[in-house]
Amino acid sequence: MKKYLTAYAISLQETLQRRSTLIMDRVGGFAVILSLYSFWTALLGDKPGFMGYTRAEMLTYVLVINVLRSLVFTGRGWQLVGEISSGKISSYLIRPLGYSAYALSLDLAQKSVHVASAVLEVALLSALTRGALFLPRDPAAWLLFAASAALASLLFFYMEFTVSCLAFWTSESGGPLFCFELFLTFAAGAFFPLDVLPDGLRRLLSATPFPYMAYLPARVFLEKVTAAEGLRLLAVEAAWLAAVVAVSRLVWRAGVNSYAAEGG
Amino acid sequence: MSVALETKGLTKDYRSPVKEPGLWGGVKALFDRKYKDTRAVDGVTFKIDEGELVGFLGANGAGKTTTLKMLSGLLTPTSGEAVALGHVPWKREAEFQKKISLVMGQRTQLWWELPAYETFRLNQAIYGIPEVDFRRNLDELVDLLELGEHLSVPVKKLSLGQRMRAEMAAALLHQPRLLLLDEPTIGLDVIMQKKVREFVKAYNKKYNATIMLTSHNMTDVTELCRRVIVIERGVLLYDGPLDRLVERYADHKLIRARFQTPVDAADLKNLGSVISMEENVVVLEVPRDRIAASAGALLASYPVLDLDVEEVDIDDIVRRLFSHA
Repeated sequence: MKKYLTAYAISLQETLQRRSTLIMDRVGGFAVILSLYSFWTALLGDKPGFMGYTRAEMLTYVLVINVLRSLVFTGRGWQLVGEISSGKISSYLIRPLGYSAYALSLDLAQKSVHVASAVLEVALLSALTRGALFLPRDPAAWLLFAASAALASLLFFYMEFTVSCLAFWTSESGGPLFCFELFLTFAAGAFFPLDVLPDGLRRLLSATPFPYMAYLPARVFLEKVTAAEGLRLLAVEAAWLAAVVAVSRLVWRAGVNSYAAEGG
Repeated sequence: MSVALETKGLTKDYRSPVKEPGLWGGVKALFDRKYKDTRAVDGVTFKIDEGELVGFLGANGAGKTTTLKMLSGLLTPTSGEAVALGHVPWKREAEFQKKISLVMGQRTQLWWELPAYETFRLNQAIYGIPEVDFRRNLDELVDLLELGEHLSVPVKKLSLGQRMRAEMAAALLHQPRLLLLDEPTIGLDVIMQKKVREFVKAYNKKYNATIMLTSHNMTDVTELCRRVIVIERGVLLYDGPLDRLVERYADHKLIRARFQTPVDAADLKNLGSVISMEENVVVLEVPRDRIAASAGALLASYPVLDLDVEEVDIDDIVRRLFSHA
């Protein structure tokens, strides 16, 4: 366990060390929420709400997504792809180290910094716009939100990890990873609430793990689901996570075996 | 003395896709991919005792790195066996991994943005090195490798030589009993090469560690290794003392002659091949069985002041071995 804590600490140091990268990341992210925020403000105009969301709820949705982006959508996929194709992965394989747990430690460090920054940005933005945000009154909603967001974060990590493992077999695995991330951002509801989509498509998506990564946690935060329904969603999310972790282990093991067979 | 490393018929085939040239070939490959098996290592058998320092030689693509990768557990062989420190390497057991290290000249495990010390701390945690041992090992390594003040500077600000030595330290903190070095002096200047060599020698002596190293730098080999293993196209070609490699493969000797007056090099051609001609000194390369005849002819027909018969330089022999491949 100590090795992963140390990995967390060293990664935290490195994230802070690379100040300019961090600042650029945040400025870029902030620009995205600012434009989404302006888009919804313009769309709402004088209307009190849209597709079942009040003005405050819709704007809150955008800001919650900003926090979730930092908590959920930051994996180690690109690093893994790079390490496999450059052969650097070898230096981990010969050390007594579980790679996915190690990568997760590094990712958690990255998330810590980004979430702290995202919360500050949201505070800043809501101060600039003088409030008008929706905050849940029920402590259970906060708890459920925290739990589902934490699971979402792991769900994304292991899913991205699995896709990145394709680099063990193909030299062009940057492609699948890029498509995966783009599709996922959309399917998770990180651009807009999935209620906006046609019924059929929405139902199709709800049978996948994607909405659990942003859309559903955000709905929990907006108190759009009852506590009982929230718990049920949490259970489904946990089941998805277990499945994805299991698949990621299989794919990782197969990948390492193929790497060992084909040469690094 | 116990055996540290033993292989029996170690063999490794690589499978690589074959693509016909041109666009059409690329399209065909999408649907009907053909593979070609290449044998990188072919039935290699050897045994290395604990505490030995062995040079592993061969041309590029001879199978050296592939062998080292199998011995460190990165690659699974196609067939054959290997036992390293009592373990089968490619099972990648933690107990085994704590006892070995593989250092590849061009690869880095150091954290780029941070001082090397942070990577050392991480390795301490990864290998579970107790604090007391960590301090002692680190002090020794810093001393031997002259790392001193470089430890607190971000790795990206280090020179290649400094980084390479920090890399070594990171790979040795857990005091591996088996050390596999792939081109440890590549890209270093002469002074740094010497430092790294001195270090490898000292580490081998001090800990009785078993070391296997590959290098294209012949000085590394001649200064460090009494025994060498040579492979060519994956096949073991020679395994024995470095000196005897010379006897076996040097089918030529050198005749160095000094003349009273200048001699035309063209005239000497039928006595042997002229290696160099400076002022009145000529160096001829002559097959062993013709040494006596050539030396006699020289003495008889030219104004010779002085004549020496010498063994060919070891660098030369190895270079010649490589150029066969």
